[in-house]
Amino acid sequence: MSAQLTLSLTNKLAEIEGVSRLVEAFGEQHGLPARVVFDLNLALDEVLTNIISYGYDDGAEHEITVRLSLDGHTLHVEVEDDGRPFNPLEIAEPHLGGPVEERSIGGLGLFLVRKLMSGLAYRRQEGKNVFGMSRTVADVPVRQHPK
Amino acid sequence: MRAPTKITEHKQGTVVVLCVSGRLDASNSGVFEEKLLGLIAGGEHRFVIDFAALDYISSAGLRVLVIAAKRLAASRGAIVLSGLEGQIEEVFAVVGFDSIFKTYRTADEAVAAFIQDPAAN
Repeated sequence: MSAQLTLSLTNKLAEIEGVSRLVEAFGEQHGLPARVVFDLNLALDEVLTNIISYGYDDGAEHEITVRLSLDGHTLHVEVEDDGRPFNPLEIAEPHLGGPVEERSIGGLGLFLVRKLMSGLAYRRQEGKNVFGMSRTVADVPVRQHPK
Repeated sequence: MRAPTKITEHKQGTVVVLCVSGRLDASNSGVFEEKLLGLIAGGEHRFVIDFAALDYISSAGLRVLVIAAKRLAASRGAIVLSGLEGQIEEVFAVVGFDSIFKTYRTADEAVAAFIQDPAAN
């Protein structure tokens, strides 16, 4: 099974919903499990929300590109933006244990991305951030939950 | 079209029940934040938040729950959750929220547990 989808959006939070609809259609077309589509949409939402909320200083319109490719049982996703250099992999994990008073308020989004997806990779290329992630679409093992 | 985010509110005794349907993401969690933090600022301190009709939650929605729980910890209040299912239940487990929010199957069960808990009265 091999398929590709490239889509673009502008840097507005309201555009993310359109992306998620296209991802759902891609998932349906290729028979991806609902759970995989949910996780993929959540991870993409978190990555795109970060870029749109914190990536730009100039108030101008920018294009963000999302590329999906299905290669056998692995789904690869790449998000490319021309915002300020930002490597999500350098962000420290939030503190999630203990009583609520000690919990981090921020950082949950990238934490979810790390837990839901694998093969995370970042590169700065030709003035752009390129963030990649992947996900197995079949025989998904039961996830280990933090205790 | 997807169902818009909707929050309904009612009170059972001293417990405020909020039923949230639709989506809680970065575009629309602000409404939920204003509603919940507004009620806390007004002196409410016992909440059941029912997510049975919630389709989707991202970190933007989760963040609101942590902020509210931190404020309530100071006033010995609490939020309990009900109606978590499927993928949404899994998201809560991934971020370890199952250890800071008690969860019940239905809103009615959550309210009953609140009323019976002497520590919460």
